[in-house]
Amino acid sequence: MQGLELPNHHVQHWRDALPVLLNQLQPGAISLDCGAWLLTCGELNELRKTMAGMGCNLLEVSATNPETLVCASALGLSARLSSDLIGSQKPRDAPTTDSELLFHQGTLRSGDHLQSDGDILLFGDVNPGALISADGDVMVWGRLRGTAHAGQHGEKQARIIALQLRPVQLRIADVVARGPEDQPQTGLVEQARLQDGEIVIEPAPAQGFIGR
Amino acid sequence: MSTTRTILICSGKGGVGKTTSTANLGIALAKQGKTTVVLDADFGLRNLDLLLGLENRIVYTAQEVLAESCRLEQALVKHKQEPNLCLLPAGNPRMLEWLTPKDMQSIVSLLEKRFDYVLIDCPAGIEDGFKNAVSATREALVITTPEVAAVRDADRVIGLLNIQGVAPVQLVLNRVRPRMMTNQEMLSVDDITDILALPLLGLVFEDEQVIVSTNRGEPLTLGDSSAPAAQAYHNIARRLQGEEIPLMDPSQARRGLRARMRKLMQTKIF
Repeated sequence: MQGLELPNHHVQHWRDALPVLLNQLQPGAISLDCGAWLLTCGELNELRKTMAGMGCNLLEVSATNPETLVCASALGLSARLSSDLIGSQKPRDAPTTDSELLFHQGTLRSGDHLQSDGDILLFGDVNPGALISADGDVMVWGRLRGTAHAGQHGEKQARIIALQLRPVQLRIADVVARGPEDQPQTGLVEQARLQDGEIVIEPAPAQGFIGR
Repeated sequence: MSTTRTILICSGKGGVGKTTSTANLGIALAKQGKTTVVLDADFGLRNLDLLLGLENRIVYTAQEVLAESCRLEQALVKHKQEPNLCLLPAGNPRMLEWLTPKDMQSIVSLLEKRFDYVLIDCPAGIEDGFKNAVSATREALVITTPEVAAVRDADRVIGLLNIQGVAPVQLVLNRVRPRMMTNQEMLSVDDITDILALPLLGLVFEDEQVIVSTNRGEPLTLGDSSAPAAQAYHNIARRLQGEEIPLMDPSQARRGLRARMRKLMQTKIF
């Protein structure tokens, strides 16, 4: 059986990658690895139809997302929990307490979108045109020159921190602000947070994340 | 194991000089003794043949080669003055739908058996034409100009190339105006390499001669032109082969022009 693996959800949306992936398929039975994606019944059915049009037969679905598996079973496909679930979940000594931390290394280029349900720590730059968003804090060990959204589901305590904070736009919870236009002070780590309903930028405190 | 280097020449944004660079680099590599083929993957709006002055010699395209209605030798158009260089149009402008990544890969693997360098002229944009072209390449040259939009698009393209595992990806900065750059009216070289974070393979200065030569169908690198742009393309071709040649410095170039003017003023003609 041929394997078809959807891209990592931090790298590219599966719909964007789909044409290329489908092109590589030979007619025959297909086993689909959804990774952490949530695919609804409709989406899975649509995929199955597209594949059928190419002479492929979608038989098996593996995923780490339980809802995807439920949808797959509902369609009569053989659903399997991905084996890498055990290995890839929360590292044992994760530095966060109540929320999950997503760590990503590499530069986000124009058009990229990195997002997390918890906090994000990016080791690299966010270029203009890229978007980084998290339910919790956004921390960039590098230059933030794109758009950042912290607390995307309304968390007003969320903060954005970067070694160089010169974004196109900042969003915290549902407040939006344009980035500062003056040149950044070198060697000063800045943070953006909400104060009286407005986004303010200030030097980041040295112990800003301890004991939150 | 073939040592052929397949290089995609892309930019995202249109009009920054992909096709011009492909033509000039193709000629420069051929002149340096490398057998080179330029593959026009932008066949919907193909004009690499115009720039090389080969429009009237095209009979077949890669499409016919894959359909086995002609041999590869018949479809390859040899350049008039530079026998090391061949052109292969990827397809017919009227039949846009036929090409898939798999077709592109088979064309390129045919070419890799015969040439030292395969240069692929990528269409603008990041849609199917781009995806087809990327699927067949190993390396890429990203062409950009010192404009915000061009740099933004280049950044996006570099991201896509990284996802596809294309490496190395190198940068060529085209249409640089030294005067505007030193006056800080244009993005500087540092601004651009800062954002794109790629090794800079070459700088090409804006040069009216480039327009004249492309209209004539004789790329600037073909003659013995002393134009800075021609020199820049020759240097890029040599750097591609691993030679180390220092980059031109825009601020120095300007001083150079001034010095030359001063020299001219001092001669007896004036």
